[in-house]
Amino acid sequence: MSLSAGGYGQNMLPVAATITGIDRLTDKDCVFSIRLSKGGILRFRASQFVILSLFGIGEAPISISSSPLDSEKSFELCIRVVGNLTRAVHRLSVGDKVGIRGPYGNGFPMERIEGRDVVIVAGGLGLAPLRSLIRHVIHERDRYGRVIVLIGAKRPQDILFKEDILLWEANPSIEVHLTVDVAVPPWDKHVGVITKLFRYVDVDSLNAVAAVVGPPIMYRFVVSEILNKGLFEGNIYLSLERRMRCGIGKCGHCQINGIYLCQDGPVLSYMEARKLKEAL
Amino acid sequence: MAERYLKREDLAKLIDSVCSGEGLFVGPKMDGRQVVYAPISAYKDIVFDYIVPRNSFKEFLFPQTEVIARYAVHKDGIDLQGVKAESPEMVVFGSRPCDAASVASLRSVFTWDFVDTSYTEREDRMVIMTIACTDRDEGCFCSTVNLAPDSVGGSDLFLKETLEGGYLVDIVTDRGRTFVERFEGIFSAGGADVDIKRIADVPRLKGVDVKKIKEDLRDTSHYDNDDLWAGLTRKCIGCGACTFVCPTCHCFDIADEGSALEGERRKNWDACQFDHFTLHASGHNPRDTQYKRWRNRFMCKFNFYPNKFSSRGCVGCGRCIRVCPVGLDITEVMEEMSGR
Repeated sequence: MSLSAGGYGQNMLPVAATITGIDRLTDKDCVFSIRLSKGGILRFRASQFVILSLFGIGEAPISISSSPLDSEKSFELCIRVVGNLTRAVHRLSVGDKVGIRGPYGNGFPMERIEGRDVVIVAGGLGLAPLRSLIRHVIHERDRYGRVIVLIGAKRPQDILFKEDILLWEANPSIEVHLTVDVAVPPWDKHVGVITKLFRYVDVDSLNAVAAVVGPPIMYRFVVSEILNKGLFEGNIYLSLERRMRCGIGKCGHCQINGIYLCQDGPVLSYMEARKLKEAL
Repeated sequence: MAERYLKREDLAKLIDSVCSGEGLFVGPKMDGRQVVYAPISAYKDIVFDYIVPRNSFKEFLFPQTEVIARYAVHKDGIDLQGVKAESPEMVVFGSRPCDAASVASLRSVFTWDFVDTSYTEREDRMVIMTIACTDRDEGCFCSTVNLAPDSVGGSDLFLKETLEGGYLVDIVTDRGRTFVERFEGIFSAGGADVDIKRIADVPRLKGVDVKKIKEDLRDTSHYDNDDLWAGLTRKCIGCGACTFVCPTCHCFDIADEGSALEGERRKNWDACQFDHFTLHASGHNPRDTQYKRWRNRFMCKFNFYPNKFSSRGCVGCGRCIRVCPVGLDITEVMEEMSGR
């Protein structure tokens, strides 16, 4: 996949961008709205990612959480404090400058999702890239069949994008099911691992696709549930994570067997992923 | 048939001519007690008696560290300047056939889809003068990977030493021809009747079948045999030395040096043998043990390179064997994989 029109960073050089908004989601996750300088527009697909630069610290690949059909003027990155760079990002304020290059990766194949039932399974931070897909699907809701969203988190206070979820729950055209591993009052929804939510999934299995993003441990169990529902392996899309550096298939960090995930992924169908050793 | 003749002493003139402009002349030179490919400015620095230099000359195409940008953050914005790669004319004298063959492999990585111009601009200006090997050591296994002490692929000019101490010069590429024509007085015509030194005999390693390895590795079920890989590579300590001396290893990292206000962004060599190479910030590591990292390097050489890029991942230079502090010999693993 080549750098799409509107892409930045052909030579691994970022462009300047400004933080225009910061929205705290949990004690360790914030959503940063980013606007490119000089009126630049980032054109991307759901589940593509950018490489974020903090000068003096370095770069990290971050998936885009807003939908391509949201505002053209800015895009959103949901960032959890996990390492050096993300810790530094959390110390930034509105108006601060960062570097952006991308978008990179293939993104979800929207043209293959059209007209079908869609099952979206988000574990923990997996909702960050999937929110992009969910918003995209809602934007053009009549192009898809049934839309079922399953969301899992450790505790109620760890759930991301609660405002979005309230809107989705109030939206009669999609079904949303939430579960947490550990309930804390006043939690009144499901408790337990995300696979428990599959009893609510009722789709036209021969004509349905699934999109799954979550921690590495989750894939095996969720995919097995989806296969039990009768979906084809080729219609189950996973977005994988690797420690990516260059984003353009040179640096070797995201190599999984013969593929470079930054270029050939991060979205792989289960049919492809299951053949790649060390992928899941 | 040789097209030209080069007298050894005339190398002095060639070095002067190349270095008089902005050109860089690279050749075998002593560094301590070892021979390395290094910039040469005087004829007396060239070493003629060597087998395979300690380093490959990939560092002149893909430097170990390279500034790709400089940044300065002001109150009202970021000043980010890309740094264009320096790409002087480079002449590599005394390349070995294995090293010359590796250039196509590097190019295949740096030009698939995105083109890394800092690599291509350097390579496009490099003239590779390879000398056929007349000696070998225990580490050499080029013939086992279907190269030879006199294979010309990747060279612009191919030289064979004569008994009297000069070189017969075969012109291999247009770039080589242009170079020879530019230095008409140095590369004289003829010399076809001169006797050349005997080319080294590098016997194929018995029990190693690269074709079979490539075919077998396509079936990745060997990944499930952890005992096999752990057993073969248990002694690896993950120092990454093999990747640094390997002419086809191309992995790198991108890092900033400087403060949050001012500094430079660099591309640095990295190694898939390091535990943090694939370590996620979350703590998850897809290749969490050393044998998995060693297996990845082996797969890269004999499966990823041939399948994805249709190029060779291993040129049989033997550097990884010579440099390994624990004596892990890739040919022993190749033998094991051939016999399965």
